Order: sequence, then structure tokens, then C-alpha cells
Amino acid sequence: MKVQLEHPADEIKRLQRCINDVVSILALPAMWGDNKPRDIVHTLLDSLLRMLNLDFVYVSLTNLVEATPSETVKVAPSQEQIFRPQELCMSLNRWLGDDPQKLYLQERSHIGDQDVSLMSWPLGVQREIGVIVAGSRRADFPQDTEALLLRIAANQALIGLQQARLFSEQKRIAYELDQRVAQRTAELAAANEILRKEIVERTRAEEALKRSETFLAEGQRLSRIGSFSWRVETGEITWSEELYRIFGFEQDVVMTLDLIATRVHPEDIPLMNDMVEKALDSVRDFEYKHRLLMPDDSVKYLHLIAHGIRDNDGRLEYIGAVQDVTQRQISEEALAKARFELADVARVTSLAMLTASIAHEVNQPLSGIVTNASTCLRMLTLDPPNVEGARETARRTIRDGNRASDVIMRLRALFSKKASITEQVDINEATREVVALTLSELQRNQVVLRCELAADLPLVTGDRVQLQQVILNLLQNASDAMCGIDDRPRQLFVSSKLEEGDRVRLSVQDRGVGFDPQAMDRLFEAFYTTKNDGMGMGLSVSRSIIEKHRGRLWATLNDGPGATFSFTIPYTTNT
Amino acid sequence: MNFGQEKIADQFLLVAVVDDDESVRESLPDLLKELGFAAIAFSSAEEFLCSACLCQTRCLILDIAMPGMNGLELQQELKVRGNRIPIIFISALKEEDVRELALEEGAAEFLLKPFSDTALLQALNTALQVT
Repeated sequence: MKVQLEHPADEIKRLQRCINDVVSILALPAMWGDNKPRDIVHTLLDSLLRMLNLDFVYVSLTNLVEATPSETVKVAPSQEQIFRPQELCMSLNRWLGDDPQKLYLQERSHIGDQDVSLMSWPLGVQREIGVIVAGSRRADFPQDTEALLLRIAANQALIGLQQARLFSEQKRIAYELDQRVAQRTAELAAANEILRKEIVERTRAEEALKRSETFLAEGQRLSRIGSFSWRVETGEITWSEELYRIFGFEQDVVMTLDLIATRVHPEDIPLMNDMVEKALDSVRDFEYKHRLLMPDDSVKYLHLIAHGIRDNDGRLEYIGAVQDVTQRQISEEALAKARFELADVARVTSLAMLTASIAHEVNQPLSGIVTNASTCLRMLTLDPPNVEGARETARRTIRDGNRASDVIMRLRALFSKKASITEQVDINEATREVVALTLSELQRNQVVLRCELAADLPLVTGDRVQLQQVILNLLQNASDAMCGIDDRPRQLFVSSKLEEGDRVRLSVQDRGVGFDPQAMDRLFEAFYTTKNDGMGMGLSVSRSIIEKHRGRLWATLNDGPGATFSFTIPYTTNT
Repeated sequence: MNFGQEKIADQFLLVAVVDDDESVRESLPDLLKELGFAAIAFSSAEEFLCSACLCQTRCLILDIAMPGMNGLELQQELKVRGNRIPIIFISALKEEDVRELALEEGAAEFLLKPFSDTALLQALNTALQVT
């Protein structure tokens, strides 16, 4: 710093002025409150222009965001005519150049057509913030104090600008952060919304599933059907609620084949073992029925079906259903028993109607026996005894005794309450026997019987006694139908023949009152009767017997008076 | 029990047996013979009516239930013909109404099969005393 000692008092004043100016400059930051670079530059330039009595002052700031620097130039009001801002900027730019060495310059140069003293000072050590150029036409510019002021001002500006830059950077970062946060928040909100929707969906699906499961469980309970799956390899067995209930196990007990076996009826265990064996062997569908023996000794009847599949890994799995058919079984058994007893009632009814025949058939030989025995005794008390005669009567007695015995046996067979016996039956023979039993009764009723039984009739498979009951029923009905007939012979025609379709047919034709063709179907109904003392059991039971033999029983009206009742039964072909 | 004293001049009284049952036709005449009667058997009412013995028959032992003309009908027929042969009905069936009817129509007796020789004798007694 060059010190000019012209007048110490002036010098002191000059230095005081300088210090005042320094203080002013140091106070500048207070005016840059909101940190706008533009304001900083303007107040700086204004202050410098004034303080240093410059002709112009110029600042170029490197733009952070854009490459182009922002230039600001201020010209002293008195010099505005001389120096045009745009030309000034261009000239100063040119003067500055890009040379980084040209940082601190003091030069006398030519701007426009004026000679000016220029001083440049960098803002930032490498001009990274910008550069400031002060210009005056005074040749002694810059003096030491002026240079000092400029430097200090430049420093303050630098600090201010740096702060501004920092601040703006902060703001930018904060803004970006906000943006990012907002975006992330929006993304999260969107994701949340999706999740929420998914949850609602899932809840709905779960509810639907629960409802459907409840339906299924309810359905299973109502129909007494339980379902199961059985993974053969692992032995894993899964049961539905209802199946646990059917078997009487606690819910959620782990199911195993051994546990199941504890409930299976002892007699059906071999069946179960057989099934398991077959199932392990290969994929197959199976179905079978077996019983359970419950802890309270009651028996349940089960009907099981299963379907074998291979899962995605090729492992064997069975899926199936088990139905508790105990009720049905009990009902069927009760029905069968009721039918049996009904047939018995029908039998008893026909028994009553055959009392006449029984008495007749048995009393005849008995009578013979008694008479012959009496004769025998008398012959033996003669003097001499008629031994020959006695022998003859004895012979007849034995014969009649056998005859009575036969009749009783046949009758007993016909009316005993026995379970059904299946055998080969000759329909002709069976018919002849029944005819023999009823002949006297028929004759008593003035019925003329004619039989035409086809020769070589094949045997049918069935219950002989039951079939005879049917024949008996038909004969009685035919006889009854002709009860009041007086204007024509009471002809009863019984015939048998071979029918097409491998069947044997027996027909009983009467010349009685016939029946109402509209009531044809009712004839075979239980409790339907046209007789005063009839129970209406006969034809209904007869039909069910014939149907059990896989045959048919029906009635037709004759061309003339009366009706014909016929039945056909398939015959066995070489079993 | 000997019936002998009250027999009429004919050596043996002819008793006709009409029954469709073979055992009866076999055994009854023999017993009747042992009882001191002559006996002949017919298998149907029609046969009896056509026979030559009709007039000589002193007593008729008649079954009720027979194919064709039954016992009661024969009783009626004989009445119509003015034939008053005493009739002893024999039947395997215990039917009160039939019994009543038979007796009302003039039958001497109605026996149920099987009957003892004693019962038969009593009936014959009754029947033959009527004449």
C-alpha cells in the first residue's frame, strides 16, 4: 500500500473516511436478509459505485444451474451517456477472458473510445463464484484505500453470495427431499390402498369360504355323509367333522387306520383289510359296505365310496365319502320283516279258508283207519278168526295212516312260517300238490277243475312253498269268483306252458264274475277286496312273491265270462 | 251188540255206501258185513241212482261232499222219486247248518268222520227202526 504523505491531516481524514466505508461495507450483510444473490449484487454495486466514486462497476456471477454467467453492470448516473451497459459487458468480458491467471488485475484499458482504469477482483479463490470489475476514467484509480474497500466489499459479497448459494442449495435439497418424500408417501399410500383392497377381498373370500364350509358341514350332517382323504404313502388321513361324529371319535383326534379298525365290526375286519390291501396295490375306485360296532354295542351300517388319484408329485391319494345308512338298513329290515309277517297273515288267512280241505283230507284216511280197525277186531273175535280178512284190514290201515301223514306233512309244509328256501321247483308238481289239497273244497263248491300242464316244463329257481301259496291263492279266488254262478258250469282251467323269453307260465282261468277293467291295477293292491269277508291280502302278497322270483303276475278278462290270472317266472338255464 | 233178532226175512239187509273216497268204499262195506249186513259201495250218487240195487237197498250211508250230485241233492232226488230209504249221512266236515238241513229233510242220522263202529251201529239201529 502506497502511503502518500502530502498532508497528514488530510491523510487522517482520508483514512477515517476509509474506515467508515469499511464499517459500512461490513454492515452490508445486514441488508442481505433474504439471501437473494440479485439483491446482494445490487446493493454491493450501488454501495461501491457511490463509495468509490466509480464510473461503472460490473459483476459476473457463475450460474450454478446454467453455464452462462449472469452479468450485472451499474453505471454512475453521470456517465450513462458514455458507457452503454451492453457494450460495457461485452468489452469487459473480452478484457477478462477465460485466463484463470487474470484474477487480480489492475490495468489501464480502452473501453469504447474511452481510457479507463480497471480493477478486477475474483469472487471465490478461483473465480468459482464470479468476478467483480470496477472502472474509472481517473488515472489514479484505484488508490490504496479504494482497492482495500473493493477487496473487502468483494469478500463480503463473496461470503454473502456463498451463503446465498448454500441457502439456495439447502432449499433445493429440502425441496427435492420434500418432493421425494411426497412421492414416496404417495407410493406408500397407493400400496396401502392396494393392500387394503386385498385385505377386503381376502376377508370376503374367507367369509365365503367359511359360509361354504358351514354349508358343507351342515349338508354332511343332514345327510350323514362324512368325507375323507387318505395319502397312502404317508398314511396321513384327514376326516370331515361329520365323519368323526359318525365314528364317535373326538374332533381333531389324529386319524389312523388302526384307530378306524377299533370301530369296525369284528366280522367286517377281513373286509377292511382286503380293501386296504387292494388300495395300497394301485390306484382304483372302490366301494363297499361294512358295519361299525360302537362302544355301547350298537351297530351302525356304513356305505363307503372312494376315488383314487395321483397328486402332482405322482403320489397315491384317495378321496371318498362315507354315509351312515343305518336308518335305511333298519327300515329295510323292518320292511322285509313286515312283508314276511304280511305273507304270514295271508298264509293264515288262506289257512282258515282251507280248513275245510284240511279236515276233509285228514278225516278221510282217519275214517278209513277207524273203520278198518273195527273190522279187524271183529274179524279176529270170530270163531275161527278171519285172519285173512284181518290182515287185509291191517294193510289198509297202514296205507291210510300213511296217506293221512302225507297230507299233514304237505299241509304243514305249506303253512309253516319258515324263512325263504331257494331250490329248483317243478311248477307242474307244485300245482298238482296244491290241486290235490284243494280238490275236495273245489268240488264242494261245485267247481269243475281241468288241468293241462305242459310236459317237460323246465325247473324254476325259487321258494316252492311261496309259489304254492300263490297257486293256492289263485285257485281260491277263482273258486270264490264262481260262488254265486248258477247259469253255467263252474269251470276252472289250470294250465302251464313254456313261454318265450325263457319263462314258465301258469294260468288259472275261471268262469266267474270277472272284475271291473278300470280296477285292474287295484286288484293287486293291499287291502283291496271284493269279498265280504275278504282281507284283500292275497293278490298283493302273491304279486310280491312272484316279483321276488323276478316274474310277473297279472290278470285279464276272458272273451267269455270270468277272468284269467297268470304268472310267468324265468327259469334257470344251466347254472 | 247183536242186531240179529230184529232182522227181517231177507238173509242180509242191503246197505248201500255212496262216497267218493276210496278208503271209505273199501273199509265200510267190510265192517258192515262183520256187523251182519250185506253191503255194496258206489263212488257217486249218479252211479247209485242208476244201479239195480236201488230198490233193494234197505239203508243208505251217504257222504255229503261229492263231485257232481252231492249227498243233500241225492236226498232230495230220492224224495222226489218217492223213495224213502233211511239215510245215514257221513261227513268229514263239521258243519252245523248242513247237519240241521239234512236232519230236517228226514235223515236218520248224521255222523262225523272218523266214527266208531259203535256209533255206526247206533245209527243203523235208528235208521232201520224207522221203517
